[in-house]
Order: sequence, then C-alpha cells, then structure tokens
Amino acid sequence: MEKPDDDFAGILRKTFVLVRAYNEGLVIGPVVAELCSVFPHVVVIDDASTDDTQAILRSLPVSVVTHLVNLGAGAAMQTGLRYILEQDADYIVTFDADGQHRVEDALAALAELSSGNCDVVYGSRFLGQSAVNLPTARRLTLKAAVRLSNWTSGTRLTDAHNGLRAFSRKAACGVTLSQSGMAYASELTNEFVRRGMRIHEIPVKIIYTAYSLGKGQSSFNSMNILIDLLVGRFLK
Amino acid sequence: MTFKYVLIAVLGGFLTYLLILPRKTVLRKGFIISFVVVMLTFSVKPEWSTALANHVGVGRGVDLLFYLSHLVLFFIAFMYYIKFKDIELRFTALVRELALDSSRAHKTRPGGQLAGPPDAAPL
Repeated sequence: MEKPDDDFAGILRKTFVLVRAYNEGLVIGPVVAELCSVFPHVVVIDDASTDDTQAILRSLPVSVVTHLVNLGAGAAMQTGLRYILEQDADYIVTFDADGQHRVEDALAALAELSSGNCDVVYGSRFLGQSAVNLPTARRLTLKAAVRLSNWTSGTRLTDAHNGLRAFSRKAACGVTLSQSGMAYASELTNEFVRRGMRIHEIPVKIIYTAYSLGKGQSSFNSMNILIDLLVGRFLK
Repeated sequence: MTFKYVLIAVLGGFLTYLLILPRKTVLRKGFIISFVVVMLTFSVKPEWSTALANHVGVGRGVDLLFYLSHLVLFFIAFMYYIKFKDIELRFTALVRELALDSSRAHKTRPGGQLAGPPDAAPL
C-alpha cells in the first residue's frame, strides 16, 4: 500500500542521507543537488579531497564533515554514522557520490524501510533489471564478493557491495567499523546480522559510466579486501 | 672460521643490548633472548644443529636454520603488520574526532544545517 504523502514527508524530515566523497569534483555537484531537492538533510563526508569538491559543496545546502587526511571509504562511513547519530535522525540512507545511483531508488529503499518490515534495506543490482553497462569482470568480482559476504555473515544477499542502503537509527546504533577501506561493506553486513537486524533487498538500477568505473574497485583490489577482512577478523 | 667469531660478536652484542633494554615485555624479551642464545650455541657448536636437524627429519643443520629463520622472519613481519593495523585504527579515530569536533564547532543556520565545510585544508 502506498503511504500518504504527509506521512512520507514526515519520514523524509527524519531521514539523513550520507554521501562519502573523495575527489568527486567532476560529478558531485549535480548528484548532491538532486539529493537536496528531495531530502532535507544531506551529509557529505569529504575524505580529504584535493580537487574542488569542497568548493562545490560550499554552494550547496549540505552538512559537510571533512577528514584532514584521506582515510578510506569505511572510515568515512563510520564518521558519517557518528555525525548523523548525533542529529535528530530516525532513518539513514547511504548514497554514492559518483552518480551511479538514482534518487528514486533511494526513495524506494526508504519506503521499504519505513514500512516497518525490516531494519535495513540493501539495494541490489542483481535483482530485477540488469545493471546498465556492468562489465563482465566486475560482475564476476561482485558475485564472488557476495558469496564471501554471505558465507561470513550467514545471509543470503544478492549484492553485498552496493553503496545504496537505508537503515534505521536502531540498526546504526552500535555499529563499529574497523575496516577503513572498501572491506567495510562486508563488515557492516556482519554487524547488522550479529545484532539481529532484519535485512531486505530491493532491486535498484546502477548506471555505470566511464567515470564511475574508473572510481570503482579493480578486480585485483578485491584480493586486498579479502585480506583486510581476514586480518580484521583476527584483530577483533 | 673468521665468520664464526664475527657472528658470535654480533649475537653477543645483540644479547647484551636486549638484556639492558627496559621497554620490552618479559614474554617478548624472553622469546628473542632464547632465539639469540640458540643461534649463539649453534655458532659455537654447529654439529649440534646437524644433530637436531637429523632428529626432526631435516638433512643438514644449515637447512634447519634456514627454515627456522624464515618462520621467525614471517612471525616478526606478521607482528609488525598487526602493530601497524593497530596504529592505523588509532590514527583513524584521531582524524575522525578532529573532523567531528570541527563540524560541531560550526554555527548552525536557522534551518538546522551546518554553515558549510570547515576551512581546514586537507593535509
């Protein structure tokens, strides 16, 4: 059943969108501007960008938290969660800065989350419509990553490394990410599962461009992610 | 045989340094000292390493020492990797606190948003 507009407007007011950015000056302006047109609270974690990302963000109605040193995606995510949990947020949506996500998918994830049937919603590029322009090597890498993530967390997800997620305040509270890099995605899932959060997936469309593919992880780096996860387990 | 004396001198110096070094834990200090003492013993009595090698199924004493050296080096590298990861975690926490403190310090707009990014430039 579709939610009444007033109810959903109330949900939007309690929703904070978390965007991590590192040298995204070429695309971050339109991406964040579109988010701001829908979501009243957008938080950008600038992970020590050296391009004009900061200058672009100054002209937008967003909250910006700036790392003085580049730390990595996982560290930026943890900083964003810390910041947002200090605000009046009931729902958190994570959204990539490189323009590969659609705002309508973020709204769909939020609608699913606010239905109360789950605590966490993951976008999946492998449900429903196929991802646009997804290279075969990347597809295979992602499939291997999700198998590993499902194996370590005991979940049955179809896409564990999708940056589009929505989760409740309850789910975010107590999340402690020790992985600074891209391995945080699997660690985040493990944290949700460990604390008994209900995870749903919805189909989303990822639009791959030359830019987003260039910013993404190489297949070789996925081996580093695997090593980080294994060492992270040892350290915990 | 000249190298034997060089080896004994270097290991003896290292052992002395370890004994007067105050900042190592007892366990770690004990492990390193034991290793150096074994190496010193094998330098003086190389035939003992061969006997030990034969006892554990390795042909020559030098081979046994070669394998053991690899294991010890791998262990040391792993320990330093763990140490490095620990320092990285502390560093990350420090940078995060600085970022959050800086954001909190900013005045808020009437609409509740922060006034924009801090002025600090990335290092």
